[in-house]
Amino acid sequence: MSLPKISRVPASRLLSAVHDPRWPLRSAAPLAVPKRALTQSGYRRPGQPREDKPPWQRIKFDFSKGLEGITKHFKLLRQEFSDRLVGPEGKPIIEHMLEQNRVIWEFRGPDSLQEWTLSSDREIGGQSEIHLKLGKNNETCFLYGTLQSAPPRDGETRYSGYCSMRSKQPLVSFDRKKHHDWSSFNTLHLRIRGDGRPWMVNIAAESYFTHQKDDLYSYFLYTRGGPYWQDVKIPFSKFFLTHRGRIQDNQHPLWLDKVNTIGFTLGDKADGPFQLEIDFIGVCKDYAHTEDFAYEVYKRNPEV
Amino acid sequence: LLFAMGLGTTITFASSHWLLAWMGLEINTLAILPLMCQSHHPRAVEATIKYFLTQATAAAMLLFASITNAWITGQWNLEFMSYSLPTTLVTVALALKIGLAPLHAWMPEVLQGLDLTTGLILSTWQKLAPFCLLLQINPSNTSLLLILGLASTLVGGWGGLNQNQLRKILAYSSIAHLGWMILVLQFFPSLTLLTLLMYFVMTFSLFISFKVNNSTTINSLSMSWSKTPIISSMVPFILLSLGGLPPLSGFLPKWLILQELTKQSLAPLATLAALSALLSLYFYLRISYAMTLTMSPNTLLNALPWRLPSNQHTLPLAITT
Repeated sequence: MSLPKISRVPASRLLSAVHDPRWPLRSAAPLAVPKRALTQSGYRRPGQPREDKPPWQRIKFDFSKGLEGITKHFKLLRQEFSDRLVGPEGKPIIEHMLEQNRVIWEFRGPDSLQEWTLSSDREIGGQSEIHLKLGKNNETCFLYGTLQSAPPRDGETRYSGYCSMRSKQPLVSFDRKKHHDWSSFNTLHLRIRGDGRPWMVNIAAESYFTHQKDDLYSYFLYTRGGPYWQDVKIPFSKFFLTHRGRIQDNQHPLWLDKVNTIGFTLGDKADGPFQLEIDFIGVCKDYAHTEDFAYEVYKRNPEV
Repeated sequence: LLFAMGLGTTITFASSHWLLAWMGLEINTLAILPLMCQSHHPRAVEATIKYFLTQATAAAMLLFASITNAWITGQWNLEFMSYSLPTTLVTVALALKIGLAPLHAWMPEVLQGLDLTTGLILSTWQKLAPFCLLLQINPSNTSLLLILGLASTLVGGWGGLNQNQLRKILAYSSIAHLGWMILVLQFFPSLTLLTLLMYFVMTFSLFISFKVNNSTTINSLSMSWSKTPIISSMVPFILLSLGGLPPLSGFLPKWLILQELTKQSLAPLATLAALSALLSLYFYLRISYAMTLTMSPNTLLNALPWRLPSNQHTLPLAITT
């Protein structure tokens, strides 16, 4: 890494700097500054190759791609306008009213895999791996990999070993955020086939404040491991609030009218290979479920 | 808190000095903020912050305008604003306070983040104080008010078309009705008051009926026929009255406003306003369709209502003109 080198350079030249303060610094400066500027410009996801080109060499201008992008966005915009004429969310109101089940994510073609982002331990220096591919007959998605809970050697991470798959934020024309509106449903319905490991389902809702951007509503997903498919129905009232992995004390129910992403995380400390096959992810309306929220909202021992 | 809100509005009503009026508005805003935050949900807090920011901006603009007026004319009296710049600025500030287009963007989001009772207070009581100020100033810029009014009716109509969240629909209906009120403000102020009063009654009953059903989406409204059939039969009347259909009392203000506008030789404006009322009528009809005219096949309930507040406000709506 270039950073330790920079910190080490003045120390070795410090003695000579006593006699002639300007010359070593001037020669050290052109060596140190460009490298620092290049690595510190923007975020580089660990695992991606580092690009040491200056910004003016990194421009990739492609006219046809730009034109494609513009036409795509305008098409989406036109689609949006025509959807609005039909009804809320592009469906007529009668369909919206009578809807009881809706399949949100289905894995029927390679395009469906583009909606998901994988991340794992590797970003912070660990050794877990995660991959996503289509299952047999292009019917399901197959999430597999290896979990290694050996913490990275950076001196500050104590525990490690996680893999996750998260859906991408849905976007409307011109890359504006769109939210899933699940207010007419109250249960999450998944059809999965796991290998017995406990997963966590995380739902990220739209937040307004910056300190809430890592707020996730989580719940557990225990997989059976058998060759048989498992239908899991989790009511949304069971999701509890976490922030960066820590369960919060002030809980509140998840509001379903602006949901951004859903994700699956594996973090049990069992090293080894894992796999999860998902057939579909949908939401449904369970009329017999009348619970508002499964956890206490008020303080149990309030300070008087 | 409720007392503070009442106090705020009363101060604004009773004031003839700009500073006192501004103070009343501020007390109003500050008093309603804790009420809005009560549910501790981040969405409610978000709505509170958005409301606070918009209202504070509006109050600051109001203060600025009154100070400018005092600087130019040397007096603080409410009725004697004679210069165009402060008057225009005051109008714009008050438009932001009540949520007229094009300064309406905060309204749907804020109402969506609140529970129904607080939303009710926001859309009815909070409109009283700015309106009393609007009635007292002499608008020197007639076209500004007309533009605000027309834009509000159009935006209120178009914006509400694709919503399925009831609170957002009510926000857009509020914007549309306020537009109607502003249209006639400079010609016949008592019509404004009449419209305001009718709007209050109708919105109050709507909010209460939604609260009884404990529903915030159109879907959950469709269950109400099995819970409270009386409310299900009255709500279409309320909604159609909001839309301004003739035999119901909501038609009265619209008719008189249109008459007044044509008397002032603003017939195209009146036509446009009437057409935009059609737009909002569409989504009122849609709600009533979902609620009353269809019987959903599922009879299990979302949540059982546990309180039945008095619904006598629905009575005036069934009275014909």
